[in-house]
Amino acid sequence: MLFREGLARILTEVGFVIVGQASDGPSLVDLARRECPDAVVTDLRMPPGFADEGIEAAAAIRATAPHIGLMLLSQYVEVHHALRLMNDFDGGVGYLLKDRVSDLGAFAVDVRRVAAGEVVIDPELVARLVGRRRAQDPLQALSDREREVLALMAQGLTNAGLADQLFVSPKTVEGYVRNIFMKLDLPPGQRDHRRVLAVLRFLRQQ
Amino acid sequence: MRVEAIADVDNTPSARREAAVVAVGLVVAGFVVAGWSLGFRLGNAHNGLLALSFTAVGLYVLRVRPGHREAVLFVAVGVVHAVMFFGRQYGAHDGPLPAAEWIGWLGVWPLSFAIALAGWTLMAFPDGRLLSPRWRVAVAGMLAVGAGLSVVSALWPVDYDRTALVVRHPLHIAGLAGARTFWDGARVSYVLFQLLWTAAIVVRMRRARGDEVRQMRWLVYAVVVDIALLLGGLAVAGSPAPGLLALPLLAVAAGVAILKYRLFDIDPLLNRTLVIGAMVVVITAGYIAVVLGIGSVVPSGRGVLWLITTAVVALAADPLRSKAQRVADRLVYGHRTTPYEALAQLTERIHDEPGELLAGIATTVANAVGAREVVVWVGEADRLAAVAGWPGPGVEEGTKALDDIGGPQWEVRPVTHHGTVVGALALRKPSGVTLTALEDRVLSDLVAQTALVIAHQRQAGELQAAARRIVTAEDAARRRIERNLHDGAQQRLVTLGLELGVLAERAAAADSALAAGVRTARAQLLDATSELRELARGLHPTVLTEQGLAAALETLADRSPIPVKLAVSVDERLPWEVEAATYFLVGEALTNAARHSSARLVRVCVTKVDTGLFVEVVDDGCGGATRTEDGGLQGTADRLAALGAHLQVDSPRGGGTRIATVLPCA
Repeated sequence: MLFREGLARILTEVGFVIVGQASDGPSLVDLARRECPDAVVTDLRMPPGFADEGIEAAAAIRATAPHIGLMLLSQYVEVHHALRLMNDFDGGVGYLLKDRVSDLGAFAVDVRRVAAGEVVIDPELVARLVGRRRAQDPLQALSDREREVLALMAQGLTNAGLADQLFVSPKTVEGYVRNIFMKLDLPPGQRDHRRVLAVLRFLRQQ
Repeated sequence: MRVEAIADVDNTPSARREAAVVAVGLVVAGFVVAGWSLGFRLGNAHNGLLALSFTAVGLYVLRVRPGHREAVLFVAVGVVHAVMFFGRQYGAHDGPLPAAEWIGWLGVWPLSFAIALAGWTLMAFPDGRLLSPRWRVAVAGMLAVGAGLSVVSALWPVDYDRTALVVRHPLHIAGLAGARTFWDGARVSYVLFQLLWTAAIVVRMRRARGDEVRQMRWLVYAVVVDIALLLGGLAVAGSPAPGLLALPLLAVAAGVAILKYRLFDIDPLLNRTLVIGAMVVVITAGYIAVVLGIGSVVPSGRGVLWLITTAVVALAADPLRSKAQRVADRLVYGHRTTPYEALAQLTERIHDEPGELLAGIATTVANAVGAREVVVWVGEADRLAAVAGWPGPGVEEGTKALDDIGGPQWEVRPVTHHGTVVGALALRKPSGVTLTALEDRVLSDLVAQTALVIAHQRQAGELQAAARRIVTAEDAARRRIERNLHDGAQQRLVTLGLELGVLAERAAAADSALAAGVRTARAQLLDATSELRELARGLHPTVLTEQGLAAALETLADRSPIPVKLAVSVDERLPWEVEAATYFLVGEALTNAARHSSARLVRVCVTKVDTGLFVEVVDDGCGGATRTEDGGLQGTADRLAALGAHLQVDSPRGGGTRIATVLPCA
């Protein structure tokens, strides 16, 4: 509650309008349906079960109001949750460690991206997957820059987002992406959350 | 095959089957009664008795067990003998009867085939099925030879000499001399028949287990008694009549064996027969020795010799009987362990698995006192459960009070520990046999040992249960702490981070030094929350409760710095403690591999097996892993032990590490 109210306060400070707060899944779903906000920020674990009620609520919201962006915060980030979100939700979904809210600026950007239909995956989770050792590591074929691009793709950045982040032209980004997909033998031409799903699945393989 | 299988199942006597049984019974009875009415002939009497006994037993078994193959063979043997009996009676009648040539003929030629058929019947005992396809070939050969001999005998009067027929062979075909030569040579195959069925019985007896042993014993008993009578008759009176006339014994014994082998125990009968047989043989031999020996040395009258013989027999009888009894006991009831051996055996078994230990006690008791059946009961005086037994587990359902255990012929000994009943030993001796004083003492010693075993097992069980409770309580505590951290400290720290973030933003505009300080504080706070997060996650993996074992193991693999190959073939949810033990075992193994092994690959295999859940973690690292008193592996081993599982650690230096266990679960 303390956290929720703090979060509401600081989001207001950076220009968001908080249309309401809820303390459990069902009331969150009601609230979202009633108010039709641009985005919902929710904890993944909520009463009563403290399991994955956040995802259940998000799915219920998505079913009736598909345009609402869904940002799930969690104490831990797990790959299987990320894969489930990418699989079940057609974009417009984010999955971040709760700690991320302390970097207010970055968090505000992430919420706006989710509201705009993009995908946001926590960098720690991606770093865990990218950094893991593999028996025959296909990532060794990538240059450092390409590896950086891969990690950012896994975090959900679009080509435009990549270009902004890396201070390069969209054309250069497209070149990187094409190269990475070729080197990793991934099906090219996928966009948005499909691309994130493909990359995460690839990174998870051994 | 199929039709018979169906007949086996159908147990309601149908009208048709009843009619068939009655018809066959009437026909056979008619033949035999008609045959008897033509007079008594010692040489043919056994055929009539065989016809009656085999038909009666076969039909009776068929009524009780429709479709029983052996019973069908019995009826066939009976019918063939009925025809032969009547034919021979008719053909041997002095005043020639109408059509006596042909009817008498019917009494002669089926003999060879009848002998082969009887051989088959013996070989197929007790279920009517032969031991193997090879035996089927042998039986087919025997039947073919029998049939062939019968055909020869039907065409030429080759076998008429041995019958008392007054009529002649009805056919007059050339080549009698040749047929006779062939017949005399081919008749040797009768001996082969005997060898064949003897071999079949011996083989079956050796292979038989459990109930079939009891059934075979009946048959073997009848066969041996009959052979003894046959040999005795030939030796004493020069006639096979006693043996032949006793042949119905076979049918009766076989019938008992098929239907009632559980009801009547053959062993006491066998025992007494052996004793009496031995006495008869020895006394006869003694009589002959006295008559020939003393009679030739000291010429004396018959009366004196009788007197001496009687005196010798009277003196020798009792020691002879007890000696014969001991030999017979040994033959029938098997080797009896001495008290010392019994206690030594028990001591050897003391390290067996708990279940086997009680079964071992049952076996030891059975061997020590020659019991036919032993049951070990464990519990309290008013609530005892049968937990082990000999010869089979034979464990009854439910519980019984001490006073309700046993029955006639059962000897029940309460097992007490510190004055309270902790169990009971129940044993059944062969009927009419009681415990000797020595056996009684051994039994008392074994009961005392059993008390120690039961008390020991009880303590072991209590320890195991306590360990399990500790693990469960620990898991619950971990879960609670994780939840408390999640909703409490972690939440507060994250909120604090949020506030620091806001502060840093505000300070940035006013005071850059302050802003830098706040940012450093926030960075330290994030390090702290990160550490706390890993700690909380290690306490209780929520993914395990939410998603199950496969997903939880994947998150372990996600976090492992060494590549992990997972082979998890468990789809269903298992009991929490099994899932948790597996998770913590794999987690510990992966952590160890990452820390010490410098392995390039770890393979994790989790799969259901008959005995539970098989878990194996193998790496290709440097090996040399050991359990230390307070190490993680020992903790894992303790957790597994609480669930009745044993941790195997195989880690030769330079040869990788293999950690495996099987977690019992339904």
